[in-house]
Amino acid sequence: MAYIRPPGLPVERGKVHEFADAILDAHPHYHDAEAAAAAGLPGVVAPPTFAMATALFSEADAELPPELAALDMRFALHGAQEFVFERPLFAGDQLRGEPGEVKTYSKKGRRGGLMKFVEAETIYRDARGEVVLRTRTTAIQTEGVVQE
Amino acid sequence: MSAPGSVDWSALSAGDERSFEVPDVTRTHFVRYAGASGDFNPIHHDQSFAEAAGLPTVFGVGMWTAGVLSRVVVEWFGPESVKRYQVRFATRLWPGDTICCQGRIARIYEEEGLPHADLALSATNQKGELLVRGKATVRPFRS
Repeated sequence: MAYIRPPGLPVERGKVHEFADAILDAHPHYHDAEAAAAAGLPGVVAPPTFAMATALFSEADAELPPELAALDMRFALHGAQEFVFERPLFAGDQLRGEPGEVKTYSKKGRRGGLMKFVEAETIYRDARGEVVLRTRTTAIQTEGVVQE
Repeated sequence: MSAPGSVDWSALSAGDERSFEVPDVTRTHFVRYAGASGDFNPIHHDQSFAEAAGLPTVFGVGMWTAGVLSRVVVEWFGPESVKRYQVRFATRLWPGDTICCQGRIARIYEEEGLPHADLALSATNQKGELLVRGKATVRPFRS
């Protein structure tokens, strides 16, 4: 799991094709620019989870929100992930992510240990400054080695 | 596969379902996703690392299963129709497993003059254990 805050997320046609291939999705709006144009789309569409491919575009561990950086990654896991779109991501978009709201809370686990939750939002804007996408990552840290 | 506008919204009903399976997941699937996503946590591709961590072998990154599950929504409505996609991770996915993806329309409603549908999604393994639970909201794309 990459908790990396990208300084920039270029949405590129080749990357979209590669990512869609990796998730085994042959939808023509991911792979075929002509099919996308025929459907009235300004470019091929990026898959809903594409923004998770941001690690490639960033070296920015330094931009981790402190609440996530403080987690002991040996005992942390990715609990949940949410994507909320104002519009689809299209090839040609130049997006920038900025940290949004961060929430932390604790719950008692089924085995009695304390589980610490961190929910971190990232807000992606396009070149015009319009919000395109909000993502929310939920990381969970347990007190010991994670068991199934 | 749906092109925009090819979904007949008036014909949709709560309870409508779609499903597909990905049989015999391989380490190559995990590695290809690592390359595509940039997530190179070795626990998902390095056998020696996994064994040193006390695991029998590598397991799939949850976001890969989440990506595969999104295909239920995308094949039905088109990728440009996705307004919200949310996943929660449960059990680990192992090489050799089958992923069973299912989507069901939970609710149909209108918002901002457009028809919307909320979908309940799940990815389970061949034993029926939950891998990923998901929710999606879709509506027709308007440029």
